[in-house]
Amino acid sequence: MATLVFWLLFLGFVAAFAAQVARRVWIIAAGPDNFSFDNLPFRIKRFVFDVVLQKRTIKERPLPGLMHALVFWGFVAFGGYTSVEFLRGLGIVDLTGTAWFHLYRLALVPFASAVLIGIVFLLVRRAFVRPIALGDHVSAESIVIALFIATLMVTFLVTFRLDERTTAGAVNWWVHMLVILAFLALIPASKHFHLVASPLTVFLKSPELGNLPNLDFEKEEVGLETLKDLKSKMRLDAFTCVECGRCQVNCPAWGAGKALNPKKIILQSQEALLAGDADKKLGAIYSEEVLWQCTTCGACENQCPVGIEHLPILIGSRRGLVSNGDAPDYLGAMYNQLERRSNIWGLGYDQRTKFVQSAALETFDPAKHDVMVWLGCAGSFDGDFQKSLRSLFEILRGRGIKFGVLAKEKCTGDPAKRTGNEYMFQELANANIESLKAAGPKKIVTSCPHCVKTIGNDYRKFGYEVEIVHSSVFVEELTRGLAASPGGPAVSTDGVERRVTFHDPCYLGRYAGKVDEPRALLTRFGADIAEPERNRDNPYCCGAGGGLLFADKEEEPGSRISDVRFKQLQATGANVVVTACPFCSIMLKGAQASAGSTGEATQFVDLMTFVKDRL
Amino acid sequence: MPGILVVAEQRQGKLNRASWESIVGAQQIGNNITVLVPGTNTHGPAGELAAAQVREVVTLEHPALEPYTPDGFTAALADAIGQLSPDVVVLPHTYQTRDFAPKLAARLDRAIITDVTAVKGGAADQGTGVSVSFVRPMFQGKLTADVQPQGPGPHFVTFQIGAYRADQVAKGAAPAAVRTLSIDVDASKIRQKPEAPFQQAKQAVDLSQAERIVSVGRGIKEQANIHIAEELAAAINAEIAASRPICDAGWLPMERQVGSSGQTVAPKLYLALGISGAIQHLVGMKGANTIVAINKDPDAPIFEVADFGIVGDLFEIVPAIIAAVKS
Repeated sequence: MATLVFWLLFLGFVAAFAAQVARRVWIIAAGPDNFSFDNLPFRIKRFVFDVVLQKRTIKERPLPGLMHALVFWGFVAFGGYTSVEFLRGLGIVDLTGTAWFHLYRLALVPFASAVLIGIVFLLVRRAFVRPIALGDHVSAESIVIALFIATLMVTFLVTFRLDERTTAGAVNWWVHMLVILAFLALIPASKHFHLVASPLTVFLKSPELGNLPNLDFEKEEVGLETLKDLKSKMRLDAFTCVECGRCQVNCPAWGAGKALNPKKIILQSQEALLAGDADKKLGAIYSEEVLWQCTTCGACENQCPVGIEHLPILIGSRRGLVSNGDAPDYLGAMYNQLERRSNIWGLGYDQRTKFVQSAALETFDPAKHDVMVWLGCAGSFDGDFQKSLRSLFEILRGRGIKFGVLAKEKCTGDPAKRTGNEYMFQELANANIESLKAAGPKKIVTSCPHCVKTIGNDYRKFGYEVEIVHSSVFVEELTRGLAASPGGPAVSTDGVERRVTFHDPCYLGRYAGKVDEPRALLTRFGADIAEPERNRDNPYCCGAGGGLLFADKEEEPGSRISDVRFKQLQATGANVVVTACPFCSIMLKGAQASAGSTGEATQFVDLMTFVKDRL
Repeated sequence: MPGILVVAEQRQGKLNRASWESIVGAQQIGNNITVLVPGTNTHGPAGELAAAQVREVVTLEHPALEPYTPDGFTAALADAIGQLSPDVVVLPHTYQTRDFAPKLAARLDRAIITDVTAVKGGAADQGTGVSVSFVRPMFQGKLTADVQPQGPGPHFVTFQIGAYRADQVAKGAAPAAVRTLSIDVDASKIRQKPEAPFQQAKQAVDLSQAERIVSVGRGIKEQANIHIAEELAAAINAEIAASRPICDAGWLPMERQVGSSGQTVAPKLYLALGISGAIQHLVGMKGANTIVAINKDPDAPIFEVADFGIVGDLFEIVPAIIAAVKS
């Protein structure tokens, strides 16, 4: 009789679970398939670190992350126990009397205690501490599930003290089993679906941060316009979200009081997919205004512990908007400049020629030169950034490196790519690839991290492969074994102590993962770095990326991202801010100018000039 | 001497000043000039234009010409050109001309040279006016080309706004004769149905139209010093503008900001006072004809783009300029 009742309950709850999962699987399968398994060794390694070892969960929030890991490892450890108890309850086979099961049970005791500690910690954090990342209201279902988990552990531990043959013992067993079944039925519709989905999502996440495969215009691809365009991985992402809010609190737009919240984007996808209005415009689901607030800094995607990729959704939706002519006006002006003059400023190429001549740069020739230097839009036209390029040239010449530049280079297309103007990006990319192939460099050095990403990653998708490194990486290797010259300005001649802080560019620290090379250079040449809040591979964006360098209403809503970052850098107490990206430099200097007298004490130096002055 | 027909532009009795500039352009080519005034209420503008040294002024009144449609204008002007048989047709390079002139030239299968800035070998150069060539910018102003029209006349020429100054026009000893030309336009062939003209809401201050701009940067030091720039602006009849930090600080209103996050300007004269010339500012004013920069830092990037640069203290230099202008 008890077995029959258990069978009925079991089938009922499992059916409830299966039906809900099937619906989600169906929705995921209905999307255009973009699951990819490239670079398997990397995926396996990431799976071990991020799923098995919970690295990404622990890294940013060590204590809650560790508590989560305790619960996770406990769950895995309990897998066998739960199976054995179900086999017994269903009357299939009773293994509870075996010797190994007794040992297994004993071994589970520390796990159960760990889960109990972890879940109570997380419950208190969610219900009473209530960090902003978890949302503005306490989710009742999360509380219920936490209590369920606690109950499971208690009912397990009690079995060591309670005889199963007594009524109390039987009740204890039934409570344990029924809680598992109820939990099962609650999983799919709650954020606890990540238990099922996240191992898969982490495995399927692209090895490349901000991976945006080219649109195929032959197939009339125009980007994401309506809900039905959301691809299978984006749909899986929507159901995997665990609502931890790491993306939210790391988003520079959200941090500066903008409307963009990456977590909300994912939850809006989820809600829309379940509602099923396939033709609903993505601009209406996410709000167009919000889609244009992303700097593409990549913090959301990089911090996500469950493998969600935000950038393909945000930029994919921008593509859909651009193809319908719905880009903001300021981008229209920038696109015009790219189209007419092939650079973001819309300046004439005679200006670049003037710089190339005055800096005595040779046209690249693989027979004569070791490396090619890629100037970029800033290097070609921004008088301020050209000063730091001159420093780079001086360092290279001083170390006997022979280098040349392209006779004519166009914008790599980064601002077009990141704002969703794929057509313009491909035009620029194809033209540059043709010039690069003709010139034939083996290695390219550039001081622009955006050019590193675009030439290094995006051009690869056209079949063009070249080694491109940021100048900090190249010069770090070049100057190993050297030290600061004694008379250099490491200690100032004017008696003012130089305290140095370093602002990691998103496209260098986060995208390229180059965080040690700039620091090695700084310390090698006498700096004692005062690290700012948000550094290394998780910097706070300067606000320039994703076309926002050109935004006309940068201060609305909230405040300027650049102002927020400038204050963070000021808070280090440093009076020298070293930058390594022309756009960070422009944004932060702008913020400094706007800060007025409070910003006066801060001096901005590009990394290459810092090194040159002390070599 | 070739017969030159200038097509003036007017709307409901109000003459577009670019018409005068076109007459000056025509006077560079030759002396045998007829001015055509199409539209309704042409009497007033025709009377004004008769003051120019031209052979005659011809009005072209027809209901099909008001409101403006490209079909109506093309049909009417094709008819008038047929009757007057000029060798050259001159138009101001206005938006309206850009709309219908290519269509008109194509209709008559004749050459058109647009956006002309100067005339070579015409009457003004003691030329015969027979082998005149026209100067026009190419490749976004990177080059200028001398162009001669080929094939049978009439040839169409449109003059860039500002190529000549309206006040350079040669006036006649006595007003030229004004007559009316009757034309035949089939109103049913007009395919466009224009709606009432409207102006899109503009910014309160439209710096893009300013001929002279005095722009202030952080070198002005404090809000109390803004008046120095304002005095200079008043003295040379210029608009006042600023770089971002000045507007951020509220020393001047946001709508006076020039640069990538403000307005894009192209004045004849841009006076940059204490502006270092960050690239976002430069892209907003690179279209200026003449850039004069005053800055105490000789390495300031503004000097890279300035036509005239003064390295020095703006608090000494600007009052001196104001005094010089006033005297």
